[in-house]
Amino acid sequence: MKYDVVVVGSGPAGTVTARFAAESGAKVLIVERRAEVGVPVLCGEGISQKIDDWGMLEGKRWIANKMEGARIYSPDGTMVRLSADMAGNETGYVVYRDIFDKELARMAVKAGTEIMMKTEVTGLLKENEIITGVKANQFNEEIDIEADIVVGADGVESKIGQWAGIDTLLKPHDLETCAQYTLTNIECDKEYCDFYLGEEIAPGGYAWVFPKGKDVANVGIGILASLSESGMALKLLDKFIGSHPELKKGEPVRLLAGAVPVAQPVETVKDHLLLVGDAARHADPITGGGLTTSLEGGKIAGETIGKAVNEQKFDNEILGSYETGWKEAFGKKLRRNYLVKEILLGFEDKTLNLLADSLKDYKFEEFSTFSIVKALVLKHPTLLMKLKPLMKISVEK
Amino acid sequence: MGKPKAKVDDKICLACGGCISLCPHDALSMLGGRAFVAEDKCLSCAICIRTCPVGAISGEVYK
Ligand SMILES: Cc1cc2nc3c(=O)[nH]c(=O)nc-3n(C[C@H](O)[C@H](O)[C@H](O)COP(=O)(O)OP(=O)(O)OC[C@H]3O[C@@H](n4cnc5c(N)ncnc54)[C@H](O)[C@@H]3O)c2cc1C
Repeated sequence: MKYDVVVVGSGPAGTVTARFAAESGAKVLIVERRAEVGVPVLCGEGISQKIDDWGMLEGKRWIANKMEGARIYSPDGTMVRLSADMAGNETGYVVYRDIFDKELARMAVKAGTEIMMKTEVTGLLKENEIITGVKANQFNEEIDIEADIVVGADGVESKIGQWAGIDTLLKPHDLETCAQYTLTNIECDKEYCDFYLGEEIAPGGYAWVFPKGKDVANVGIGILASLSESGMALKLLDKFIGSHPELKKGEPVRLLAGAVPVAQPVETVKDHLLLVGDAARHADPITGGGLTTSLEGGKIAGETIGKAVNEQKFDNEILGSYETGWKEAFGKKLRRNYLVKEILLGFEDKTLNLLADSLKDYKFEEFSTFSIVKALVLKHPTLLMKLKPLMKISVEK
Repeated sequence: MGKPKAKVDDKICLACGGCISLCPHDALSMLGGRAFVAEDKCLSCAICIRTCPVGAISGEVYK
């Protein structure tokens, strides 16, 4: 079996890469360990409405709910409301990830991509140290799949990078360990995605309620792995739900555990190899949202691969325009948000409460660093010192 | 030496892959839809035990 490109993983990063590579003429194969694309869903399913402009998904079947915005609750319950375009990556739509992923797969297949299910990649094929494809196990049979380019789209537990000599190992400080129920027959405000902060609620992370309708929502929690103890995420999630009567009255129809990198991105290109999506550690270090960067990065990867295949050159130099491309598109933001994450982790509950109190009546239509600072200084001047490092980052951009 | 190795309880693991991304000794991988510890590689550091969101990994290795 010989392909131009073998993509390991059928998540959004893999299928979007495959689609754009195939559209520019490459012969592409996706290899997926699972028996169904998009299942099980390991996601809160929130995504920004900016994907509307990207034309990567057709129809509306993948949309569960359209949001007005986000509400952030500080540890003492003070609420700050953000409109959808201010709220960033995770609000806009709540989607059905199983349908979302299958729709992206359909677009890849329409462009000519082949998909092999229930096939696990177990290593890289190499000839004289040059990557020539992947080794895989399919229904207990060892198979070799030759390809000029290997794409690691194998998610948070990625091994492809490591096999190629890229250090993708995460430190506990750079991973959110998560648990989530989809609760049914609850009461929720379907217009808003809610985020709850606090050391007691979710150390180093947050709890979330992402409504899929007026009585169904993804209710989950992520805690920083370095602050975790065995089984803590699920225990804290149960506690969180127990303290919210409107959620407690429901029952779960889905339970998942998950892990989100909140790290700095890694090296993403080697000769004959690219990493995309969570495998490239492209999720947002503040929110853990990784869908938009998977789509954006996947498109850049696919287009780069198209060029490489047309020129029949597969070295670091030609594939490197993928790394340049994603750095231009969202690299700066990931770097900046990593620094912001570090600062926010240092904030005590007290500081978060003051911050929320300063911003709760703030009209976010006139969003600018200057006017926010003004609001803060008027109300809680002591905050200014704590926020200094943050403001420095936002000015540097 | 002789510290107990980490062990995944198949009946609890939900296959999120977090432990695999964190194991400094490359001892964890996904096998048959569950996390699996290669005992010869495990150095009993307990990172996977502490960070498992559902408490599926044990080994009595951490104080
Ligand atoms: C609890 C939770 C909540 C989240 N909430 C949000 C949210 O609300 N919004 C948001 O934007 N992001 C969210 N994320 C992050 C988001 O889910 C990821 O960023 C996104 O799925 C990354 O896509 P991907 O294609 O890189 O990887 P994945 O979607 O993880 O796909 C990787 C694929 O590779 C396959 N694979 C792995 N190894 C192999 C192998 N060796 N051989 C063959 N196949 C293999 C896997 O089976 C899988 O199908 C959340 C994550 C979690 C865990």
